[in-house]
Amino acid sequence: MSTLPRDAGTNQASLPKTSVTQSGDVARPGDRGAKVRRTIAYVLIIGYALLMFVPFLWSVSTSFKTQAQSDELNLIPQPVSTRGYERAFNELDPALPRLFLNSALIAGAVTLSNVALGAMAGYAFARLRFPGRELLFVMVLGTMMIPDQLRLVPIYQILRAFGLLKGPFQFVGVWLVLAISAASIFLLRQYFMSIPKALEEAAKIDGAGFFTTFARVVLPLAMPAIAAVAILQFQGAWNGFFWPNVILQDRSNWTLPLGLSQFQDLYNTQWPPLMAVVVLATLPILVLYVFFQRYFVEGIAAAGVKG
Amino acid sequence: MTARAAAAPSRRMQTERRQEALAGYALIAVPIALFLLLQIGQVFYAGYISLFDWGLRGPKAFLGIENYQKVLADPLFYKAVTNTVYYTVLVVPIQMAIGLFLAVIVNQKIRGRTFFRAAFYFPAIASSAAITVLFLFLLAPNGLFNGVREVLGFNPLFEALGFDANQDWFGDQRTALNSVILLNAWTTSGTMMLFYLAFLQSIPDELYEAAAIDGAGWWATFRRLTLPLLAPAHFFVATISVIGALQLFDQAFIVGGTGGVPNNTLTTIVLLLYRQGIAETDFGYAAAIGILLFVIIFAVTLAQRKLFGQAPAW
Repeated sequence: MSTLPRDAGTNQASLPKTSVTQSGDVARPGDRGAKVRRTIAYVLIIGYALLMFVPFLWSVSTSFKTQAQSDELNLIPQPVSTRGYERAFNELDPALPRLFLNSALIAGAVTLSNVALGAMAGYAFARLRFPGRELLFVMVLGTMMIPDQLRLVPIYQILRAFGLLKGPFQFVGVWLVLAISAASIFLLRQYFMSIPKALEEAAKIDGAGFFTTFARVVLPLAMPAIAAVAILQFQGAWNGFFWPNVILQDRSNWTLPLGLSQFQDLYNTQWPPLMAVVVLATLPILVLYVFFQRYFVEGIAAAGVKG
Repeated sequence: MTARAAAAPSRRMQTERRQEALAGYALIAVPIALFLLLQIGQVFYAGYISLFDWGLRGPKAFLGIENYQKVLADPLFYKAVTNTVYYTVLVVPIQMAIGLFLAVIVNQKIRGRTFFRAAFYFPAIASSAAITVLFLFLLAPNGLFNGVREVLGFNPLFEALGFDANQDWFGDQRTALNSVILLNAWTTSGTMMLFYLAFLQSIPDELYEAAAIDGAGWWATFRRLTLPLLAPAHFFVATISVIGALQLFDQAFIVGGTGGVPNNTLTTIVLLLYRQGIAETDFGYAAAIGILLFVIIFAVTLAQRKLFGQAPAW
């Protein structure tokens, strides 16, 4: 249904729809009721949009307050205090930079493997003909039906048997479980199928083999889909809680979400340092969202609404 | 001669075919191996483990279906099922209704559409841990929520409902699970909006134009045209939403720990599975809960397919 756009331009161009309200307005010019209704609608949706931002604004505000101010209702802290951030950086164990490093390591590895394996398998399922292709693809999609929690006990056993619950191997364990998702393969396959075949046929006539055609012709054209998969997976792994919580048993291997959930117990009601960690942990994804918003939105829809 | 001429290209084509197939297998080999090993194989392994008394050192005794009998006789399992179903029955319709409403709005030609779409999805970008800690703060006894309702003068109303000025929303067993519902409705409605939006954008403009020519108003168009055409979308969004809700864990765990504090009101099916498996290392029992959850999810998906009639887009 919603495949990823080739570039920003076509995306914007393909979106506009003639809305019913608007054609209604055209049919009855000067209808005051429509105008009032529209104003009310705007007020409501602006209010709802504000409701989406308020909790985060409040966490930023509180992170710059002192402990004593943290239950006051003013949005602008007076005076502005960086004590919360100092405490977050100095008192936490493991230290904040360590949590960031661990999160980045896992998110980076998961993103890389999903892009690489997803592109390869996605291309094979989209374009190459081999016996059993349809069956294998159905099997890949079928794995989306398996709840993570069902795998909790057996995966735990297997990782333990292979020594992947010990020390730095815990990172390998988390990465293995998240290394490739069916959604990545599906999203890339859909995109590859939308690329005109003529380009690949031309490369073939020029004597290029399957791998050369894939690497030199198809991959560069699939950058929007690759970006969407990369962002989706990075966000998912950066924010991930379930598997890291089970596998990263050494304190020094914790990621930011694990640190947050533990400090929440420890720093109970010491809101400024806690909110400082919330703000810092969310900041990298926020920056990604501001710059690559389109990939979040299109990627989620394309990965979810298959076809 | 003609036969040989025909045979030559067909042999070349055969080699090419074989090469193509080999290239295909080479490209899918690693992911397929991982899926077989870490996904499909695990379903069977979980089934196997569930038949044993299985501790940290491995299987102790073969039990057959005894673990299942124990789970089904455990009052805590029923508590967990009740909590999970209560959560699902409330959060799914809320998410779907808000998601659909928002999608219809940002599908209109309104000013600032890109901004609104980005804003409505915004809460979904943060981690469950960050959002949960943030809401623990907002709904704390001296938090923003209690502060604002006092300023707005709503306290008499809340008092009539039995909540004093410093209500601890997550700590009180009357309101803990409802607070998690509020939290997740706030976070996930934007995602549901995106799903609905993808379906809405596939409805041809001509249909709306025809409706407008027939003089159909906004509500009539929505009820008679948009809503029926969205039948596959409802199926899809409901399925995703229910499956997600039945797996509630992160928020419940961060708020109430392995104990589902307060008083097991936050003990969900998955939290119980985690508690039995990881904290108590009763792996056979936990694996049996996992299989039962799988069966529940599967049954719900089939039931929804029946209910909404249509298969999803794929």
